[in-house]
Amino acid sequence: MEGTPRYRTAECDRFELELEAYLEDEISPTVPAHARECVFCKVVFEDLTALRRAARGLALEEPSPVVWANIRAQLSAEGAFAEKAGVWSWFWQLDFLRRPAPAAAFVCMVALGCWLTAARNYPQPETAGSLAASTSEPTVVRSMAFAGGALGLEKAVRGLEAAFKVRESKLAPDVKATYENSLNSLDASIRECNDSLQREPGNSLAHEYLFAAYSQKAEVLSSALEIDEGR
Amino acid sequence: MADRQQQRTRKTTALPFGLGIFLCSMALPGMLAAAEGNRTEKTIEVAPNPRVTVSNARGQIVVRGWDKQQVHVVCSVLSPRVEVDSEVLPPGGPADKVHFSTHILDPLVSGKDQTADYSLDVPMGTDLEIRDTQGSVKVDKLQGDDATVETVGGAIVVSDFTGHLFVRSIGGNIDLIRAAGRVEAYSITGDLHFVFPTTSKLRATTTSGRILFEGDFPDGGDYSLSDYSGDMEIICPPSASFELNAKTDRGKLENQMPMTIRHQPATPISSANSLFGTHLTGKATVNLKSFSGTIRIRQR
Repeated sequence: MEGTPRYRTAECDRFELELEAYLEDEISPTVPAHARECVFCKVVFEDLTALRRAARGLALEEPSPVVWANIRAQLSAEGAFAEKAGVWSWFWQLDFLRRPAPAAAFVCMVALGCWLTAARNYPQPETAGSLAASTSEPTVVRSMAFAGGALGLEKAVRGLEAAFKVRESKLAPDVKATYENSLNSLDASIRECNDSLQREPGNSLAHEYLFAAYSQKAEVLSSALEIDEGR
Repeated sequence: MADRQQQRTRKTTALPFGLGIFLCSMALPGMLAAAEGNRTEKTIEVAPNPRVTVSNARGQIVVRGWDKQQVHVVCSVLSPRVEVDSEVLPPGGPADKVHFSTHILDPLVSGKDQTADYSLDVPMGTDLEIRDTQGSVKVDKLQGDDATVETVGGAIVVSDFTGHLFVRSIGGNIDLIRAAGRVEAYSITGDLHFVFPTTSKLRATTTSGRILFEGDFPDGGDYSLSDYSGDMEIICPPSASFELNAKTDRGKLENQMPMTIRHQPATPISSANSLFGTHLTGKATVNLKSFSGTIRIRQR
């Protein structure tokens, strides 16, 4: 082969155009015929045929649990699962949610945006009376906005938790203990923040820490699911 | 006859004794090898400002900057069923990227037997990326553009790094000493310790660990430290000039620095748990947040 000049012909061009269809089991008699005549195209034909045969012999691999959790979160965000109609049902029908962005990343951005804009809505107090009246409005806006954003994030975290429970038995004991300690710490902070918000719905610090705890929990669970212990 | 019997007796006792000596002498080098582990050493010529990455499951990683255009690595493994691979790009000439990774060849190898320890000397302008699941990482004297260090349970110590530093550990403690570039440090249960940073931008978060900051705040610096339930302690010189925004929901706030209190619009948090003030001329900005931990600010 080395040193042999190659003269590309129109048949070689036609061979290349029809090769893909032939490999996908479409009828094309010119492809094998040309492969028999042209040394160079024969090499290409034989390599691709061998690759295709070898690929068909590979075992089907189950995608990692992270993939399923993310798919579920994405489908949930797109409203694929039947949910009770409620005050937030219209939220999930908005067209921009149909963009292929990971649901967890999207709800993080929404909740962060709501918190940032709502944080600037503190009223300027004139009197104690007007202060009491005016703080309630942005508080309600913040609570509702946060509730919408956190809902999707909470669902994504639950999906990741389920995948983690399947995976955790395969982790080394000390690695598993580290993850469990961190998840317990985050769960404790989520409970405390929720308790605070029940007593004080306008507590912006509790909102902030609750959202951060869910985000960190999602990151920790993703880290545990993606861990590759060198195997 | 008696002589022959004596000779036979000597032979029968000498033979097992000699065999035993022989067997021990064969076993001894093997035991030494097992105790010492498998050690490999390699030197790779690199281009200016290379990128070096290390991916390890368990073991200590130490990286030091030096003034040679080479990456020198010494790697020790405890088990012959643990392999260290290196990949150099491009394959010929000085490398732009060098990647080291540890592979566990036998799934039955577990625990301490998975250990691979790395010691690397790299050019000071190296960009670094290290992932060590259950091992400690130490980085010293690098001036690259960025470094990323991540562990699950291992402690991380980085000293004298000047670029963008991103450090994360799920459960390990993080110590950053004299960091000069932009710093991001995150842990869930580990403690964060900053010693004399000169960085202009620092973000640090831990959930249940403690935060200890010792040092000054450079002019124009932007520092944000946040923890959930751990205590936070800031120790700075009397000459530190900064604007302070400190708040905690259920914890305490203890301040020893003289502050000019700023007027702050009403917030849902009671004023007893927050402090918004300026020390001296307020040239840097310091944001401290804790949900239930105590925040202490005191003079060095």
